[in-house]
Amino acid sequence: MPALRVNPNRMELMKLRRRRQVAQRGHKLLKDKLDELMKEFLARIAETRRMRIDVEHELAAAYGLFAVVRGEAGKAGLALALASGSPVDLVDVSERNVMSVRIPEFASLPMPTPGGYSLATTPAMLDTALDALAAVAPRLLDLAEREKAIELLAAEIETTRRRVNALEHVLIPQLSETIRSIGMKLDEAERGNLTRLMKVKEMIAAQEEREVQRSVGS
Amino acid sequence: MTEGRRVAVVGDGTSVAGFRPLGFAVFALSEPSEARGLWQELTGGEFAVVFVTEQVWPHVADLAADAADRAVPAVTVIPGAGSVGGIGQEKLDRAIERALGTTAFTREEDG
Repeated sequence: MPALRVNPNRMELMKLRRRRQVAQRGHKLLKDKLDELMKEFLARIAETRRMRIDVEHELAAAYGLFAVVRGEAGKAGLALALASGSPVDLVDVSERNVMSVRIPEFASLPMPTPGGYSLATTPAMLDTALDALAAVAPRLLDLAEREKAIELLAAEIETTRRRVNALEHVLIPQLSETIRSIGMKLDEAERGNLTRLMKVKEMIAAQEEREVQRSVGS
Repeated sequence: MTEGRRVAVVGDGTSVAGFRPLGFAVFALSEPSEARGLWQELTGGEFAVVFVTEQVWPHVADLAADAADRAVPAVTVIPGAGSVGGIGQEKLDRAIERALGTTAFTREEDG
């Protein structure tokens, strides 16, 4: 990991040490967040997969019943029978915060009772088909809520993992390397100073000795 | 805070017509590609959940990516009448793969 290009002095060293400390604390926090997100995520997967398979089967069965009705009443007859009904509010939406991910929660509201079609001209099977669809509808809404939660958690997990990896494998090693290289440069400068001082001391001592010898000789 | 919202179903008439008497907002399309034109309306905030049949999903998958990061609407794929199925499962698998890097472990768990 290449070191950062900074001036090798004590001021920078202190700054970098502080940055590394913050990065390490952030890394720990993000890693904890990632663990918790994974826990939430894994707890939902198996149940949601099972639910999707069940709901798809139930929906296919309901479609089958509608196909029978279509066969009996004709395409136009079925379309006419199903033309009644207007959209109403079917869910109450609230949000739950899971590790800063806003996950929607849908509470089913009562569905209108199907009706408005002539009982004389439509096959009896239509009631059964609508009942089957009405039975699967709340589970469909539940599935939508669960799948949305999984998608949102997956996106957050991906982002958090990138951040954790960037801190762990890029920023923290880079800061450590820079701190090490500044430390080495400062040590080197210190050794240079020490050697210079020793040399000067030696020269002064030699000069003093010469002066003493000269004064003794004269 | 909670608020009531509607639920939309988008797909071919045969698949989605049955939802109308149950209070769903039904968008029956003659061509799956028509869903692209409706997408703004569907994801504008009026609907909490948008169910899309498997036949329509490939036409709106790229548009749905925008709504994926928002809490609502939840865009969910449902099988249409006569569709092979599996697209909703695939979408779920993609989310799992995005988070875990693989779907192998979760598949083993199911089996």
